[in-house]
Amino acid sequence: MKASIKTLTDDYAVALREYLEGGGEAPLFRAYQIGRGAVEAGLGVLEVAALHQEALVHDLLLLLAPDESPTIAKRASEFFAEALAPFEASRRGFQEATSVLRDLNRELQQRIEVALKDYQAAQDKLDERRRMEALKDEFISIVNHELRTPLTSIHGALGIINTKLGPEIPEDARRLLEIAYRNSRRLARLVDNVLDLQKIESGTVTFEVRVQPLRPLLEHAVEANQPYATQLGVTLVLEEAPPDVQVEVDGDRVIQVLTNLLSNAAKFSPPGERVGVSAAASGASWWRVAVTDRGPGIPESFRGRVFQRFAQADSSTTRPRGGTGLGLSICKAIVERMGGRIGFETEPGRGTTFYFDLPMEGAPAEAPDASACPESR
Amino acid sequence: MPRKPLSRVLLVEDDPDVQVVASMALSEIGGLVVEVCGSALEALKTAPVFQPDLILLDVMMPGMDGIAALEALRKDPRVAATPVVFMTARAQSHEVARYRELGSLGVITKPFEPESLADTLRALWEGRAL
Repeated sequence: MKASIKTLTDDYAVALREYLEGGGEAPLFRAYQIGRGAVEAGLGVLEVAALHQEALVHDLLLLLAPDESPTIAKRASEFFAEALAPFEASRRGFQEATSVLRDLNRELQQRIEVALKDYQAAQDKLDERRRMEALKDEFISIVNHELRTPLTSIHGALGIINTKLGPEIPEDARRLLEIAYRNSRRLARLVDNVLDLQKIESGTVTFEVRVQPLRPLLEHAVEANQPYATQLGVTLVLEEAPPDVQVEVDGDRVIQVLTNLLSNAAKFSPPGERVGVSAAASGASWWRVAVTDRGPGIPESFRGRVFQRFAQADSSTTRPRGGTGLGLSICKAIVERMGGRIGFETEPGRGTTFYFDLPMEGAPAEAPDASACPESR
Repeated sequence: MPRKPLSRVLLVEDDPDVQVVASMALSEIGGLVVEVCGSALEALKTAPVFQPDLILLDVMMPGMDGIAALEALRKDPRVAATPVVFMTARAQSHEVARYRELGSLGVITKPFEPESLADTLRALWEGRAL
């Protein structure tokens, strides 16, 4: 009975794989039998060659490892030669078989070399990138330590003087001392922010993203930031937030963004005012979280730079408010890492709303709408 | 089980300025008895003699770092049970989690607030979550 081509193909692939992986007599003998089957089935050398090539390419993809490539190439040739041996006795003759084998081997050798080169180049690139990332992490860790150690002694020394000698220090000196103390704290925050921003943007920090209700995050942020707002005479109010809305986010990071927006809003609100927080659908695929203040609004000239690093509208008014100029850059980086977008609407003299949009659960991914995001202008 | 009030702290910190500031914050503001060591090796010698209630241990130190020091302290039966609080510039949440897993009572981030450093240690000592 003649072997079907399907059986030959399957047998060939299995036996070749076995031989490439482990060598041995048995698979080689099967190669010879397959060759005989092919002769009986009336197949040509070229058809067996095609079969060989297909099976080999498939195996190469699975087996490709630089150290073993010469062995694999050698075994592939041996196996193929064995499969072609029966043709030597057939009327198609030895000549045809050997020339096909030679061509095939040459081509195969080239393909392996190219594949290996590509593989090696990709590997080198990957190694290089890993090394750079490790170096960068190491550098950041050292910078962090080196900046914080002197800050610790400065901040600590000033704090101790303040606490222990406060009443004895003359008024002028105490004012200077307070400036120094406040600024050492600000410097510490700046170090935190620079490192945080770097880590978020480089992707070296992992986000713990999970599906969760949105409202508790807003409640938590409002509650946690009220003491700070109270110092400025401002009340934070959670105005509207559907209780059943679910979002896929890192909850701590959402609270971090809200903390930034809320403290900004409180800073720029006149005493006695309220800052409102709300969540509502924005279009068909986003949940919009908005923080609205009744402050002076953002001047036209500054609107394009709001999300830039170290951008602050007017240093004469904002510096004393103690910002680092990185808060909104960090917010933007965080929101975008979670697949969202951030923006604002402002009206001079009436106030400003900063918002961020989070993708709705199950909504189709949508490209950020550039017109809604002033920072992308 | 209520513990006796926190009174003796061994501070292990390599930076001399931070040593001064932290020990003043603990003793003069915080009213604690403080002994200072400039390295982990020194701490391993001092701890069994000084018998602190708690060890405040800097993480990043040249030579033996705070992590290795904690392991070494745990092997010495005279101080194996003494609670350790890490003090560190690195304080990503996963690192804090790791320090806790290593068996520390808590982690204090640098720069710390000198007025409240001792209170923070007391709260950790009394087992209150921070």
